[in-house]
Amino acid sequence: MGLENKGPDRADRVTPGGIAFPGTSLENRTGSWRLMRPLFETAPSPCHAVCPAQENIPDYLSLMARDEPRRAWEVLVSDNPMPAVTGRVCPHPCETDCHRGRFDAPVSIHSVERFLGDAALREGWPYPAIPPLGEDKVAVVGAGPAGLSCAYHLRRQGIRVSLFDQFPEAGGTCRIIPDYRLPSLVLSGEAERILGLGITFYPGKKLGRDVSLEELEADYAAVFLSPGRQRSRAFSVAHSVPANLHHGIDLLWTWKNVGALPRWDRVVIVGGGNTAIDLARTLLRTGTGEVHVVTDEEIPVDRESQKGWPMPAIAREVGLAIGEGVRIHAGRSIGRLLLREDRVVGVELVHALKELEAKSPVHRAFPGTETVLEADQVIPAVGQDLDSEGLERLLKSRDHLAVSNDGRVEGNERIFAGGDAVPGGGLVSAAIGSGHRIALKIGALLRGEGPSAVPALVPLPYSGLNLHYFDHGSSYEPMERAPGARNGFDEIETTGSSDLIRAEADRCLSCGHCLECDNCWVLCPDGAVLKTAGFGNLPVPYLFDYEYCKGCGLCARECPSGHIRMVPEE
Amino acid sequence: MRDILEGSEAIARAVALCRPQVVAAYPITPQTHIVEGLARLIADGLLDAELVSVESEFSAASVVLGAASAGSRSYTASASQGILLMGEVLYNISGMRVPVVLTCANRAVSAPVSIWNDHQDSMAVRDSGWIQLYCADNQEAVDTTIQAFRISERVELPVMVCVDGFTLTHTLEPIDLPDQAQVDRFLPPFRFTRKLSSEHPFSAGTLVSPDFFTEMRYLQHAAFEQAAREILSADRDWSGIAGRSCGGLIAVEGDREAPTGILVMGSVFGTLLDAHRSGDLGRPVRLIRLRSFRPFPTEALRKATEGLAALVVLDRSLSPGSGGIVSHEVRSALYGLPSAPRILSVAGGLGGRDLRAESFRTMLEGLDHAGEWDLRFADLDPDRLPKADSAPESLADAAPKSTNPFPEKE
Amino acid sequence: MASASDPGPVDLAELRAAQPRFSGLESGHGACQGCGQALAARLVLEAAGPDVIVANATGCLEIFTTPWPLSAWNVAWIHSLFENVAAVASGIEAALKIQGRNTKVLAFAGDGGTFDIGFQALSGMLERNHDVLFVCFDNEAYMNTGIQRSGSTPLGAWTTTSPAGKTRQGKRHLKKDLLTIIAAHGIPYAATASVAYPSDLRSKVRRALSTEGPSFLLLHSPCPLGWGHDSSLTIAVDRLAVESGLFPLLELARGQVIGRMAIRTVRPVREYAELQSRFGHLLADSPEAHEGLEHLQAIADANIERYGLLASGPEPRDSEGADTVRRGGTRWA
Repeated sequence: MGLENKGPDRADRVTPGGIAFPGTSLENRTGSWRLMRPLFETAPSPCHAVCPAQENIPDYLSLMARDEPRRAWEVLVSDNPMPAVTGRVCPHPCETDCHRGRFDAPVSIHSVERFLGDAALREGWPYPAIPPLGEDKVAVVGAGPAGLSCAYHLRRQGIRVSLFDQFPEAGGTCRIIPDYRLPSLVLSGEAERILGLGITFYPGKKLGRDVSLEELEADYAAVFLSPGRQRSRAFSVAHSVPANLHHGIDLLWTWKNVGALPRWDRVVIVGGGNTAIDLARTLLRTGTGEVHVVTDEEIPVDRESQKGWPMPAIAREVGLAIGEGVRIHAGRSIGRLLLREDRVVGVELVHALKELEAKSPVHRAFPGTETVLEADQVIPAVGQDLDSEGLERLLKSRDHLAVSNDGRVEGNERIFAGGDAVPGGGLVSAAIGSGHRIALKIGALLRGEGPSAVPALVPLPYSGLNLHYFDHGSSYEPMERAPGARNGFDEIETTGSSDLIRAEADRCLSCGHCLECDNCWVLCPDGAVLKTAGFGNLPVPYLFDYEYCKGCGLCARECPSGHIRMVPEE
Repeated sequence: MRDILEGSEAIARAVALCRPQVVAAYPITPQTHIVEGLARLIADGLLDAELVSVESEFSAASVVLGAASAGSRSYTASASQGILLMGEVLYNISGMRVPVVLTCANRAVSAPVSIWNDHQDSMAVRDSGWIQLYCADNQEAVDTTIQAFRISERVELPVMVCVDGFTLTHTLEPIDLPDQAQVDRFLPPFRFTRKLSSEHPFSAGTLVSPDFFTEMRYLQHAAFEQAAREILSADRDWSGIAGRSCGGLIAVEGDREAPTGILVMGSVFGTLLDAHRSGDLGRPVRLIRLRSFRPFPTEALRKATEGLAALVVLDRSLSPGSGGIVSHEVRSALYGLPSAPRILSVAGGLGGRDLRAESFRTMLEGLDHAGEWDLRFADLDPDRLPKADSAPESLADAAPKSTNPFPEKE
Repeated sequence: MASASDPGPVDLAELRAAQPRFSGLESGHGACQGCGQALAARLVLEAAGPDVIVANATGCLEIFTTPWPLSAWNVAWIHSLFENVAAVASGIEAALKIQGRNTKVLAFAGDGGTFDIGFQALSGMLERNHDVLFVCFDNEAYMNTGIQRSGSTPLGAWTTTSPAGKTRQGKRHLKKDLLTIIAAHGIPYAATASVAYPSDLRSKVRRALSTEGPSFLLLHSPCPLGWGHDSSLTIAVDRLAVESGLFPLLELARGQVIGRMAIRTVRPVREYAELQSRFGHLLADSPEAHEGLEHLQAIADANIERYGLLASGPEPRDSEGADTVRRGGTRWA
């Protein structure tokens, strides 16, 4: 009797001693027992769901964690072509929502993002997956982050793009972000890399002045408008306007374009946004003696316990500004300008509160609480409006472009708008996200595809994780210059080392995404999870063998990252 | 080489000549000398084997089951309570068709406690699926032991070599021990077809459903038909080498044509033969010795009893409430034959009670008056039984009058 | 919800054959859903590798793997009886030794075959110093026969022969302290392990097999049916057994504790009990139930104290990071 041969008759004829042969149990298809079926299912991570640029964060963190930075960057730029910029300037709501924050500390996602962006600029990595140019042409107005993003994502669909901007360089409002926060070379590096994809860039061409909307409509299959907000809002207090008034945004442009600013003794900046904070810190760096910021909003820390509206400036930057000596008068508004002749000598501050009521903030000031602050300059940084030149036909009587849900300017089939020019903008990452979304809509339009609904991402809840499988550990703290050493425009935060960033990326809990940890493979009592590594380059790391899976649900229960879902068998 | 040896020592040397690789045993009287003998041979480097001194007979049987399954020729020995403690494993060894040789130094089974010889132990496991061969003397014990390994390994059934405790195991006799070359010529190295091996793994000892259980049992039973042939061929081949036969399945001596016969198993045959030769039996008697109780040689028995008008079957064991076990089987084997002899069943030699020439003469006399299904107890002394009307009402009434539990015989 | 990318048609049989691990226990066995023992057995063999012979005592593991003519075993495997597995393994080991074969011998038994009916043979095997790894798959009752109490059943647990009723709160006797008894044999290596900690389990198997002489592994393996928990909770329940202190994970050499899996966050026994219907009666609002649960808690506390299981400081979750996943599965390497 040859034991090595299983023999054809063995199921029909008894064997002396009743022996059975190895692995013959495979004939017993225990999958027929199953009432519930496990599925590998990628659920959106909270970081992905909240990211204004829709970055698929767990995917690139995972690649970075495996020390594959280039592939990580390629995943990253499939959504956001400017990670070196957003890694620096985005307030990273991804980290606020990061489930790891409830476990120990959130993953420093922005540190990974900027590391990858910097690595790509340094190494000259080209964008992946750029197809040849086709016939369709689209005009994009405004080369800020929204316009650049839209141009890039159109180009990724093989669409020819003409990009118009009133300024001589691409970058839009990002160009006035001070270098200690965003070095000009980083911005221009990423902008030029986009333009280098074969996008026709028309600098110094302003809509309404150099080119008309009608011309664009005639020459291009579609138009994307992302002109930003370039016009400073009028500023006055009780109908008085100082003679030597400078708007905050203009001063930031002056600094970038000229490289010099007046030196005042004592300045009061009005406003709570990024322009106010950027300017305050720039002035301190360029020789102004004292910088005060007055805002009726509150300092954006510990927001839970506050009743007032927070300053819209990035919280972290507000904190750094305070550390550098900027004096912030929060919860105050200016009751009166103290003028000698038409020159400012001081301001009268009054306690104020900006509260959210019925969906919009309400401003309240409380007489009897006035104090005086001497100053030789008052600088408004209270926001900008859309420059209506060339857009009159679209604006009608409004001060903003009204767009429908799909990004079309209302009443126009082939004109789209995004970025700061439409309500809800403000963040660089949101602008990039809007450019991306609309590029896809335009692509679909040009290809004659119907509207495709993009469902809202419902993130995996914290309870969907199995945290038993994670160790608490220290998180990456970005290196920062000490306040005393921040007198120049060198960047405050530095890019982390490869080792530290890889370790930080590895802290990602991979919410809703496969960690490839082997847990399901190891723990299945029925050997019904098969690992695909090294087997014909399958696109998934594991497969269920439903011939044998009994549906016990153990894999789903023990999946650390919530990547397995049990569904009833039909 | 002829030598004066104690039976146990002779058996130990015979086992050693068979080159077992694993010996496992637990001490029990009267088996101990056999295992001690093997232990000495191993200690002296005369036998290269693993001696596994287990913590029970249950484990002794289990160890040889494991060792033989892993491909090593394996041997164990036991007796009495030890055989019964092994019982579950004995069934298992046979059902798994694992070749193993066991020497049963036959002894009575408690209670009452007796360390002396009868066949109750091996009879208790007669249905366990083991080949059972009963030895008439120590020379046969040696020769049967050697034959047992070949039989066992050829038919893949375990063999129990039954040797009367004390009567044989502790008796010095002149023994012809074969030399190693003779045994090697007779017994090839053990090659188990179902040897456990990580190179060709399989699963042994599986759960068999009612759909196949009958076929499994049939296979086991059918193997005993082959075993009968192997017992005969082993005896024949061995006699060709050693010049001695052990009697095959069943042996007939005495007055071969006599109409009266006596059938026995084991060493009592020597007593019977002596009585016959010295004329103490008082009449011509055909002497029949059943060597193979399993397989039970029905055809050979019918031949051996041909022409008999009456037959005494001596049982050295008892199935209480039923009678002699061997005699039942003999009756069953002869049932329906037109000239089947009348059979007297005698239970005798229990718990070491000597059987003498007079005992057999009494049996033969009883045969003249016996009914078809009579059961007699050899040498039963009615005076040693409680009086019929004196059942004690309390333990105090039953207390012995004498302090000596072993009163001298008159 | 995006579903995972469709791999297209894949020959699963080929993929199964190409798995980068040794699968000693094949799929298609008839264990219940979520069976801890089936998982444990596969993990033990994964660590042991193919060059083994397994002797298996009677019990669930034997029954659900070998309904002739099928077998789920990919290793050489033999089942004899309930109480003799240690002796059968002894015999195999003796044979391999005299034949000069280096194949490792493993004995598998449940708690009945170890704590109770097979205990004598086990003790003998240890005393005789056979080079065998004895693995007890401890599911704390006779599950194969329908959940009867064994010497391993914990105090207070319901079984069909230790039912909870008006006058009884489940089992009236303590779980036999088998590890101490095994330790008293002075064998070179003994350990406890849990299916909730597979890497720990497997490294203990490797350590045991690399130790010459007898070794013993008490492997806690939940039985969803017998313990009364959902089949998906097998690991979660066993994790709580360890984290509560009821089932300490230990390593012993020559009877001395040389390794312990520290518990960073001790979980109350109540959490463990709440997941299992066998302890359901102890959660009732009665003085007897309360006492029963407190007694179990006291046993867990005593274990923690006796073996010094409390972790201190910001250490890893356990002594060896054994329950921490690594991206890409490296923890299983």
